[in-house]
Amino acid sequence: MSAIVDLVLGIVTSIGGFVEAGSISTAAQAGSEFGLQLLWAIAAATVMLALLVEMSGRLAAVSRRSLAAAVRERFGVHFQIVPLTAELLIDVLLLAAEIGGAAIAVKLLTGIGFQWWILPIGLVAWLVLWLCQFGVIEYGLGLLGLVTLAFVAAAWKLEPNVSAVGASLIPSLPTHHHTRYAFLAVSILGATVSPYLLNFYASGSIEEKLNESELWVNRTTAYVGMCFGGVVSMGALVTSAAVLQPRHIVVDSYEQAALMFVPAFGRWAVTLFAASLGIGCFGAAVELALNAGYTFAQVFGWSWGANKPRREAARFTAAFTIVLLASVAVGLIGFDPLRLTMLSVALTVVIMPLVVLPFLVLMNDEKYVKKHTSGVIGNAFLALLTVLGALLALVVVPLELLGG
Amino acid sequence: MRLRYCFAGPVLQRLRAGSWIVLAAAAIAAAGCSREDERLQQHREKFESLGSSARVIGEAWLAGSTSGTYTSSALEQTFLLVEKERSTLASSPDALVDSRGAELSQAAERLSRLIAAMTRDVRAADAASVRLHVASIPIKPAESQ
Repeated sequence: MSAIVDLVLGIVTSIGGFVEAGSISTAAQAGSEFGLQLLWAIAAATVMLALLVEMSGRLAAVSRRSLAAAVRERFGVHFQIVPLTAELLIDVLLLAAEIGGAAIAVKLLTGIGFQWWILPIGLVAWLVLWLCQFGVIEYGLGLLGLVTLAFVAAAWKLEPNVSAVGASLIPSLPTHHHTRYAFLAVSILGATVSPYLLNFYASGSIEEKLNESELWVNRTTAYVGMCFGGVVSMGALVTSAAVLQPRHIVVDSYEQAALMFVPAFGRWAVTLFAASLGIGCFGAAVELALNAGYTFAQVFGWSWGANKPRREAARFTAAFTIVLLASVAVGLIGFDPLRLTMLSVALTVVIMPLVVLPFLVLMNDEKYVKKHTSGVIGNAFLALLTVLGALLALVVVPLELLGG
Repeated sequence: MRLRYCFAGPVLQRLRAGSWIVLAAAAIAAAGCSREDERLQQHREKFESLGSSARVIGEAWLAGSTSGTYTSSALEQTFLLVEKERSTLASSPDALVDSRGAELSQAAERLSRLIAAMTRDVRAADAASVRLHVASIPIKPAESQ
């Protein structure tokens, strides 16, 4: 019975926790600029994420090690310094973007400049991390995140052409703005498959004491939860394509993105958009900061765990506090949160091979996963997608930054 | 043989080198023109998007779908984006020398002033004035012009 409850909660919170600044902004921009044409990118990225998340849960359940700890043990701390540094830099940028997204959500409701909300939101995130146990963080924020189902409801109400939606799941080339199209495809991949999610999911599985006999719970949660989460992201793209593209609105700010809810929800539009953006971003910010604590503690062999009293995991607590402070500082500089989000999700794809490729090696090492090694086809697919994504990102990110 | 002789002649050699230079210059100029056209088109699309945003924001407020707080904040943001795009356009003298660029710059300035006026009207809850300004937004998507 407990496993069933865990399963349902896991799926529901995966759906609620799926959408954040990256997925909302990339889906809104993709929909407004290319209509439904980039729907395939969300589908591909979601499949990739589901496979990777299932693997990280399997690694944790079988080996009782998180991804960061297992990589350190298998490849040595010297090997890990490069991916660790790259991942932490990207995490600080992503965290700043998430805090910025949450601040914009408050601005949409209050009209007070988003910079004024950066520090209070950072403080609330820290308080949640300081006061709450893992279950409250994971399930509480995940359940609140169900408000993001508003994207699916909006898409449903707008009655999109189902055959056009289905056809968009097959990749196709655009007739114009090829660089921008490639940049958005890369950004969707980066926004969906954030490397931090892998270690976060593995660490969470250890916190929840998932074991080898419950691998089916892990598998079902990963596949079902992530696929439904992907549907929420697709809902954002479909809504944007249905509302913004015909009006020739290209999303350059969250204020413009909020307009996508107006035809579907009328006077509740901005409130629902702000709630979806705010809760999605805040949840992701808490997870990112917590994962920074996990990663530092696991790499350097410190005591860690959101369920432990903070005194027993002082360096873990200090790590997430410092990363949170660094991100708040970046946010206070005054970067446009939407631009920061787009930049950080695109850069995520550049560093993805550093995280994913060692992980795939681990998933074929019987010392860690015993008989539960991964299949050749799945591994080859993930390795190929990761390397291709990174190569594409290396080409299009500089082009996009230099103005195409 | 004759071809070889021609190419071997010093005058024709110079001519050949000269023609390559002319060709290269023409190619660079053509690429420059096409790049300039592309840049102008990008500016136009951006202004169209911002003009359209201002119109939709205004219409949503007039329909009672959005609050005054959101509307004025969204218009302010749109205004900032228009100003940013205008300064990018103005930073390219070649674009402003081009008659299309100059026309676009003037239309963008009108858009900027209209959005500023709309923001003031929304704060004053002056629906009639907002309606008037929404109707006169200068940069519109091609189909609706």
